[in-house]
Amino acid sequence: MTAGLSACSEPAEPEASSSGGDGTLTVYTSEPQAKIDALNAEFTAANPGIEVQVYRAGTGDLNARIASERETGKIGADVLLAADAPTFEGYKDENLLVQYTPTDVEALNADIVDPDGYYVGTRIIPTVIAYNTGAVTEPPTSWQDLADPKYKGQITLPNPDVSGAAAYNTAVWLGEESLGQPWLEGLAANEPVVAESNGPVGQSVAAGTQPIGIVVDYLVRELAEKGSPIALEYPTDGVPYISQPAGIFADGANQEAAKKYVDFLVSKRGQEVAVEQQYLPVRDDVGTPEGAPALADLNLLNPDLAQITASQPEAVKRFNELVG
Amino acid sequence: MYCRSHGVTSLSLTRAALWLVVTAMILVPIAAVVSIGLGGNHVAELLDAGIVDAAINSLVSAGLSALFAVVIAVAMALILDRTDLPGRSVLRLVLLSPLLIPPFVGAIAWTGLLGPSGTINKFWASHFSGPLWNIYGGDGVVFLLTVHSYPLAYLIIAAALRRIPSDLEEAARISGARPMRALTDVTLPLLRTAAVASFTLVAVSNLADFGIPALVGLPDRYVTLSTMIYRFIQSGTVAKPLEVVSAIGIVLLLLAVVAVALDRLLGRRGAAVDGPSTPAQRLALGRNRIPAGAVVWMLALAVTALPILSLASQALLPAPGVPFTWANLTMDSIVGAVTAPGTVVGIRNSIFLAVGAAVICGVVGLALGVVVTRTRSRDNVGLDLVAMLPQAIPGLVIAVGWLIVGRYTGLFDTRWVILCAYVMAFLAIVVQAVRAPLQATPPALEEVARSSGASPMRALYDVSWKLAIPAAVTGGVLVALTAVRELTMSVLLVAPGTQTLGVSIFNLQQAGDYNAAAALSLLVALAGIAGLGLVAGVTDRKKTS
Repeated sequence: MTAGLSACSEPAEPEASSSGGDGTLTVYTSEPQAKIDALNAEFTAANPGIEVQVYRAGTGDLNARIASERETGKIGADVLLAADAPTFEGYKDENLLVQYTPTDVEALNADIVDPDGYYVGTRIIPTVIAYNTGAVTEPPTSWQDLADPKYKGQITLPNPDVSGAAAYNTAVWLGEESLGQPWLEGLAANEPVVAESNGPVGQSVAAGTQPIGIVVDYLVRELAEKGSPIALEYPTDGVPYISQPAGIFADGANQEAAKKYVDFLVSKRGQEVAVEQQYLPVRDDVGTPEGAPALADLNLLNPDLAQITASQPEAVKRFNELVG
Repeated sequence: MYCRSHGVTSLSLTRAALWLVVTAMILVPIAAVVSIGLGGNHVAELLDAGIVDAAINSLVSAGLSALFAVVIAVAMALILDRTDLPGRSVLRLVLLSPLLIPPFVGAIAWTGLLGPSGTINKFWASHFSGPLWNIYGGDGVVFLLTVHSYPLAYLIIAAALRRIPSDLEEAARISGARPMRALTDVTLPLLRTAAVASFTLVAVSNLADFGIPALVGLPDRYVTLSTMIYRFIQSGTVAKPLEVVSAIGIVLLLLAVVAVALDRLLGRRGAAVDGPSTPAQRLALGRNRIPAGAVVWMLALAVTALPILSLASQALLPAPGVPFTWANLTMDSIVGAVTAPGTVVGIRNSIFLAVGAAVICGVVGLALGVVVTRTRSRDNVGLDLVAMLPQAIPGLVIAVGWLIVGRYTGLFDTRWVILCAYVMAFLAIVVQAVRAPLQATPPALEEVARSSGASPMRALYDVSWKLAIPAAVTGGVLVALTAVRELTMSVLLVAPGTQTLGVSIFNLQQAGDYNAAAALSLLVALAGIAGLGLVAGVTDRKKTS
């Protein structure tokens, strides 16, 4: 054990990969561990020559790791599967991604494909209103409702400083005609509890600690499936969503395998796995999770991405001033 | 009458070796961070983001929580080790349990109890007007930091208390002082070195805590430097996140330098006394024994059992919000947590890392402590300062430093890089633990050894080194326990196959599987309590009381 200090000189070189796509593929993702494991098992079954290695962390930790790797040389991943379009816009602007259009692009929801071809969305992850069925008899059905004083002290939502999805939502809310600053002031007056991220929000609503929450939809379905007294409403005045895009790093050692992986993510089989994992899919030939509405029935908001990316820091600052 | 170090080869060699170790393990990663932090000018950006308020919040919360932790720890040490309170041994383990629960898990348990609609507040509001106390905000941060750090302070102070001879108190008693008076006038002043050492350690490590201020501070707009770091890393729109984060890291470093300087100023003036010649006499509580016991037990259980029960109830339920009835209880979450892919790997890695870090920190920390407190040299201050610094750096910043160093040395994506980060972060725990007994040892013993012909090195080894071994073991155990529940550093440094237990818990929680996360935390806590019980049993047998 005391040899630990001298052992600090045992480099473990990553194995080089051949050009045919076989070998090791490294994926950085914010997908929950069990989900990414199941997804990779499917991918490996279809592509037996490729071994997928995963580094899983929250989006913030992924950003920190990517930034540190750039500081010292190359990014250590082939594929990034995480977060939201604005994050990818940032990486695209810094020329870290390569252009790649997946084979099945025709079958995909056009809104989640980057027109420049640097990344593609892999899930529709809407933010919804969740409520505790034991504690709330008249659930709010729109964002507007959340500013109603009768919900004072009952609401919880994720922190846009910590959750990428929450930062994106904040920019969307402030950019919407019908909501904007007056609505955010109304929400702030209801003294919502700002939780760290989506996970604690779902937990808090299910446990009844804060009976109403703003949270991503698949978490609510998962908790309900396990027996928690929780249900959701897709807000009638527009549903903001993020798309967990996938992109290929220019630094990646195994571009061929990376392309196959991105193809698989949005392929029919890959999307069936997504639906099994309670996600709304990015194509319409695989159905939707049990109890979820058809995509066509949702009032999904598709704001101008460039504008959202530009206004996001200001929006988060405004949120912190008003809500904190 | 300390031994002078120049002209003494073996001692100089030891000193040089220590400098080499702290340079490699601490200074190099810090240099990596500082060089990035100074890479651009972010002063305006940081001022705009409110870094001044965050720095004040960090200082106040860390300082207050350390103060309360030390006060509680001294009271605990006196009550448990110097009175005949019923059920002392069990009570000690109960009171140490917060040490074993990862702070972010503890914070979740407490917010469930004392959040605006938490269990206790709901109950209170239905019987009285309004809630009892809302845990969100600065006061809650101080409360939780205190709860999670008093065990650390207690272990250091209790070790020091055991070394104070009871002859002095008895002399006071014979001269007519009442037991209480003997305690306050004789024993308490002798505890000062240990109190200052534990205050610095706790204050400096609370400066860097992330989980607690994130979970109970941010909901009430209470921002500290460590939560601010996350804001910049998280935001996909900051141009150079690493530079900004490292700049905040430099601010924390400066705060730590101030804290350690103060520690050196205040902690130097402790009196040295000879080691115990007779076991300490316990203070008989007499008629008050049972009522006093009841009060202390109630307080202890309120602080420790509530979160553990809250964890246990979560661990036995299939999902949050399911009513707690016999029919709903299930072992599914516990089985699920233990069989989750990664958990087994996490347990194996965490044991390896905890034991490795404990052994390395124990040996290096003891050597550092002996050299810094028992020899005279101008570079002692430097050595001491370097060893303490990493405590104040948030795990995220340490991890960034090691990510960079790891890339250049080929340690990247191995278990060794995590071990290096742990050693850097936890070395101070052992240095602070051995400082108190070493400073309280009179130089007379070494002088005797010297006059009998021992070389300075030999005298140091035979006297100081051996005297401080029990404290170093305590420190090593603390390092292991801290390492097992460590999260922020591991998250950034793990790679496929090197994940740790903390990361397993965090992954379960992130996936929304709270019950499995609670189950795993509970198992860690129970295993830790069992481990502590074993250690306590061994040291109890060593003592003659």
